[in-house]
Amino acid sequence: MIKRQKTGKITIYLFAVLLAIFVLFPFVVMISMSLKAPDEQFTSPPYLIPKRPTLNNYLQVFGQGSMFAQYFINSLLVASISTLIVLGVAIFSSYGYARINFPGKNILFVLLLLSQLFPLAAIIVPLYRIMGNLKLIDTYLSLIISYLTFSVPVGVWLLRSFFLGVPRELEEAALIDGCTRFQAFWRIVIPLVRPGMGATSAYVFFLTWQEFMFALTFINSESKRTLPVGIFDFVGQYETNWGNLMAASILVCIPVFVIFFFIQKQLVGGLTEGAIKG
Amino acid sequence: MLHNKKEWISGYFFILPSLILLIVLVFYPLFMTFIYSFYDMSLVSTRYLGWEAYQKLFQNPMFSLIFKNSLTWTILVVFFQCLLGLGSALVLKQTFIGNTFLRGLVILPWVMPGVIAGMAWRLIYHPQLGLLNHYLQVLGIVDQPLTWLSSPTMALYAVILAAIWKGFPFSTIMYLAGLQGVPLELYEAAEIDGANETSKFFHVTLPSMRPVIIVTLLLTFIWTFNYFELVYVMTGGGPAESSHIFPTYIYDLAFKRFRFGDASRFAVVDFLFLLIFSLFYVRLSFKSEESA
Repeated sequence: MIKRQKTGKITIYLFAVLLAIFVLFPFVVMISMSLKAPDEQFTSPPYLIPKRPTLNNYLQVFGQGSMFAQYFINSLLVASISTLIVLGVAIFSSYGYARINFPGKNILFVLLLLSQLFPLAAIIVPLYRIMGNLKLIDTYLSLIISYLTFSVPVGVWLLRSFFLGVPRELEEAALIDGCTRFQAFWRIVIPLVRPGMGATSAYVFFLTWQEFMFALTFINSESKRTLPVGIFDFVGQYETNWGNLMAASILVCIPVFVIFFFIQKQLVGGLTEGAIKG
Repeated sequence: MLHNKKEWISGYFFILPSLILLIVLVFYPLFMTFIYSFYDMSLVSTRYLGWEAYQKLFQNPMFSLIFKNSLTWTILVVFFQCLLGLGSALVLKQTFIGNTFLRGLVILPWVMPGVIAGMAWRLIYHPQLGLLNHYLQVLGIVDQPLTWLSSPTMALYAVILAAIWKGFPFSTIMYLAGLQGVPLELYEAAEIDGANETSKFFHVTLPSMRPVIIVTLLLTFIWTFNYFELVYVMTGGGPAESSHIFPTYIYDLAFKRFRFGDASRFAVVDFLFLLIFSLFYVRLSFKSEESA
């Protein structure tokens, strides 16, 4: 019996190690390449551990002639403003869908979910025309507006699951005490869903931070590009400089990894609740 | 009754902002795409074709290729993400040293921006610099370096492997939550009946996780079917259009060849396919739930 338990433990550790290798391999490859000087990048056969690790690639990403810092600021700007707008809209709508009964509610909510069924490529031609008519092509605003197409439904859906988790009795008591619906919402419920608001903002930020297709289509000038497009373009121009490219890629990952580290618990709770409760 | 009416109005008031945005930014463009799909449209000319446009689409050999590729891509990615998700969730549910740390690590591929994941996998598959070929040769699995992304027969499968890696943590998260929801009494009852680990898994764990698995499969199916970045960044649909799926081909038609009508038709078929698939799927899973 003890022996069986021991082999069981060993099997678990074996699987855990295999899982870690599978998950980490691409990251290790990226870090390895980002630490290699040009002469080490092109050796054949390739090897994983740099013989003379250097931080030069990281310095060059911020160095002269590099647009990385500009792309970073652009991405930060677009993602932050989008997130704020989505949060402002989603707070009200998700509460409405979670708590208030009105005719047509289910149909409207299904419509909201239906908007997740088509690829964004399916609406990009009409959107491009709209942006063109409004003279918005090549502006940050075109990105912020087009990001609302996918982030509003996701934000409402996710935040709704947090509202569903607040006990109804609290508002009902407030309503009986003479609060209006809006007061009950604003003073009683909102403070309770703050963690959910944090998780929803983080998820929307994460989606808009990495958006690629709209950014590739609506922005023409180099100075307004966001990070994903900037990184993609890097390969076209300097197919050879993998060290710089991987250093930049790692720097792009860091903000989202840090955010996820802090809100992981709330976000996972919201995603699983939201998916299971519909 | 009066109270109800007031309640209704406040309900509409609360959802109005998102409803307006949704109509203007999503449903109006989608409607326009439906309209465009009946036209032959380019930068210079617009001609009405009507249903003839769809007849032409179904005869187009690219259409059957894209459909086949999209199904291969989606089914393989969803299947292996489900398998890996379940497996990793079962591992992570156990207690071992480093468990919390590994839970944090596992989520990283899913959190990583898609474009960057595509770049990293391009490097892994790189014919000269890629470590994958090197390790496969060292281990004696292949004699010659494989061409991965530059071979028409392999490119799609190479991206599929990357997509499995990129997306499986979502399944892991969902199944971990599902595993925590399995009532402990069921395991205890099964133990009293003399069940071993395997039969506990098939008779207790899997049936209790049914709802989670159904939802996760549907979500990953829809997301994967419409996933643009990885294919676009890793192969651009090539070589020789061999690895295009719906979203990448729609984008190419619209913004590289300016064939807006064709792009809209592919988009409409993509949407309708997912709509019909989802309706059948939801219906079937509810039906079997009732009979179970």
